Amino acid sequence: MAQDSVGLSSDYQFWIQKLSVWKQASTLETQQDTCLYLPQFQEFLRQMYEALKEMDSNTVIERFPTIGQLLAKTCRNPFILAYDESQKILIWCLCCLINKDPQNSGESQLNSWTRGLLSRILAAFRSDIKEVDLFTQGLGYAPADYYPGLLKNMVLSLVSELRENHLNGFNTQSRKKICLPVSAVLCLWLRHLPSLEKAVLHLFEKLVSSERNCLRRIECFMKDSLLPEAACHPAIFRVVDEMFRYALLETEGAPEVLAAMQVFTRCFVEALEKENQQPKFALKTYFPYASPSLVMVLLQRPKDIPQGLWHRPLKRISEMLKEIVEDETQGSSGGPFENWFLLAHFGGWADIAAEQLLTSVGDAEPPEALLWLLAFSSSPGDGPQQRAQTMVEVKAVLSHLGRLLRSPTLSAGNLLAAAEESREGDPRPPACQQLTRRLLLNFLLWAPGGRAMARDVITLMARTDEIMHEIVGFLDQTLYRWDHLGVDAPGSRKLARELLAELRGQA
Amino acid sequence: MDSLLQQLERFSEVLAVSRTTHVSTWDAATVRRALQWARYLRHVHRRFGRHARIRKALERRLQNQWKQEGGSGPAPALGLTNFQALGHCDLLLSLRLLANRALGDAAFHYLLQELFPGPGVPGAEEGTLQGSLALLARRRAAVHMLRSSAYRENPVLQEDSLMKTQAELLLERLQEVGEAHAEGPGRFLSRLWEHLPHNNFLKVTAAALLLPPSSPRHQEEESELGNPRRAGERGRELLHWLLGKSEVIVAFCRNLPAGLLTSVAGRHPEVSRVYLGLLTDWGRHLHYDLQKGIWIGTESQDVPWEELYGRFQSLCQAPPPLKDEVLTTLKSCKAQDGDFEVPGLSIWTDLLLALESGA
Repeated sequence: MAQDSVGLSSDYQFWIQKLSVWKQASTLETQQDTCLYLPQFQEFLRQMYEALKEMDSNTVIERFPTIGQLLAKTCRNPFILAYDESQKILIWCLCCLINKDPQNSGESQLNSWTRGLLSRILAAFRSDIKEVDLFTQGLGYAPADYYPGLLKNMVLSLVSELRENHLNGFNTQSRKKICLPVSAVLCLWLRHLPSLEKAVLHLFEKLVSSERNCLRRIECFMKDSLLPEAACHPAIFRVVDEMFRYALLETEGAPEVLAAMQVFTRCFVEALEKENQQPKFALKTYFPYASPSLVMVLLQRPKDIPQGLWHRPLKRISEMLKEIVEDETQGSSGGPFENWFLLAHFGGWADIAAEQLLTSVGDAEPPEALLWLLAFSSSPGDGPQQRAQTMVEVKAVLSHLGRLLRSPTLSAGNLLAAAEESREGDPRPPACQQLTRRLLLNFLLWAPGGRAMARDVITLMARTDEIMHEIVGFLDQTLYRWDHLGVDAPGSRKLARELLAELRGQA
Repeated sequence: MDSLLQQLERFSEVLAVSRTTHVSTWDAATVRRALQWARYLRHVHRRFGRHARIRKALERRLQNQWKQEGGSGPAPALGLTNFQALGHCDLLLSLRLLANRALGDAAFHYLLQELFPGPGVPGAEEGTLQGSLALLARRRAAVHMLRSSAYRENPVLQEDSLMKTQAELLLERLQEVGEAHAEGPGRFLSRLWEHLPHNNFLKVTAAALLLPPSSPRHQEEESELGNPRRAGERGRELLHWLLGKSEVIVAFCRNLPAGLLTSVAGRHPEVSRVYLGLLTDWGRHLHYDLQKGIWIGTESQDVPWEELYGRFQSLCQAPPPLKDEVLTTLKSCKAQDGDFEVPGLSIWTDLLLALESGA
């Protein structure tokens, strides 16, 4: 007990000082500082209460002569009063000071003073707008009636204003900048689904209208929106994920939506890792329809694995997916779309697979696992035969490209022909065409001969606006991925950057 | 039923007394009885919340009482104002006693023990007075905090959080009053008009007319009242009253900002008709001063040209059909005047000219 009271005394000094600095928490600095200490201060109040309730009012004054100051200053700080249970504990402390039967003027005065403070905490809110007070009184409402509605309206308007400011990069210079803590926004989103949905839709609008094909900017907007951080809470993640799912379905897999979802997932994973060493929620709560082991493999960061060993997780992913998707008896882990959707979150793997295939072109037989993965990611709805066909086509393209690599007659026309001619001479299905275009672009970036004719090939390839758009997207995504993985390829990087700048300039 | 009504009346008296110095005669036992009574009435509220007939009778009695006290007047209500207030009459009583300096020390000490028994009653917090009072303090602080650090008056008045809240409260109250007495809302609004500052009242009215159609808000009250609000009907009585009182609608159209009125007119065609009628009326009061080359009025209450123009300009920026209606009105007035194209002869010509060049 003695030890506790010593500890309490020194804490007491600390807090009295803090409270003096904070005053009414009217400046940004004092507000931020107050908010940092709210939980600890509440704990201190609890300890004070435990000590005070054992004493009568005279003992209290003896033991803590400046208790009046402490309690009065606490009452004046609305941040403290608004936090969790602090106001309740403060009231308990004040109750300890009330004397049932004051014997002298000193005790009477203490009673009077304490009652004043209690009144102050619980008194009706005197807004500095006389008219609102008058109006609500005129209607016959007490503050207890209308606080919930008023709070809701104030918070909603504040959140929408903050969101607009964030996403428009608008600087509110006319007044102080208030940072609504993520926990507050999280609370709002958890309690009021429409605000969350609005936030996501707002983000979609922004992404689709202005930031196509610039993943770096998309990442900024994504982080500013606070959605990835909030999504660490599974309920929020699920809602956002659903919205991405619908967006993909409605737009039939639009590349912009895919890219945005991948950025979201990346930021989300980053936030998860930053937040806790021990994951608070099991992975299954985020991806309930997926096989947990598959999710684990997908979540691996390529950055953490030496580049030379990337083929291992790729093979694993491919094998697992193949087993799930092609084994008809296994209905549990969702159909092809669900698994494709899962893979799409971590789109980087499919891109890495394509790159791997290209960088080793001509060396050896391309691994079936990688071919399967690529074929699946570009066309999940295919039956096993169709997919096998695609894999064969891709293999043929790769070997053709490999031959051209060593051939002296390498030219833009040859390259294009290699990529575009199908074995039977029939036109390939569009998904397959997209795939071969991607392989060709990879080739251009990686193969020494390819670099020389990159521009020509692209010019020939980009027959439509849509294809041009696709190429720009590919280059942007590739650079973005290389930046994040720290891929060391200065030549390829330079080329990609130059090409991107040129093509963007043209658009 | 009668005994219930009597109880209600007597408790209302107790509630009224709780604010006066008369409580100096109260001891701990009195306080206990008062709190018990409040608890009983809360129980009544819960029990009869779904009985439309009983609820209506109680509501009517309370509203009558309130009116007799001089309800809607500038002072806060002495007693209970409506059925909903029964739901937290114990909170109301507690707050008054806590704030009343005249209450003796012993009685006050007892009150505190009853209201704030301290920790150790987990889970029961929600329903207790301790919980409600703490929540009230918390909310009060939150409002204060938001208001002083994060609030800025929204230039779009109907989206301002304070305005919106007042508007929502107004409609809620009108609904209750309407359920108790059919002609209730009109009389209630007239009383408010007499007692409250006009400017704020008019703004709140406009905001209320612009609230989105009823969503499942206040679901608790809805189920308690047993009468789901019908979408779109919320502002009906308000609109009806507004259009029925010429003094009010004139003040409404004259004093509220142009943009706000345009929004209201856009939503409610009845208002746009009256508004346009008034504007044309005001326009006819102006005459052209040849020397100065401007349109002026003769009396102090005449609406000046700039304001007239401002209002018409705002209306012309509204989406159709309002915009078209306005232009049609202006053109027809211009035609009536003789369809002049030269300025200085018909105010309508000049307005149209100014609007075209400004647009």
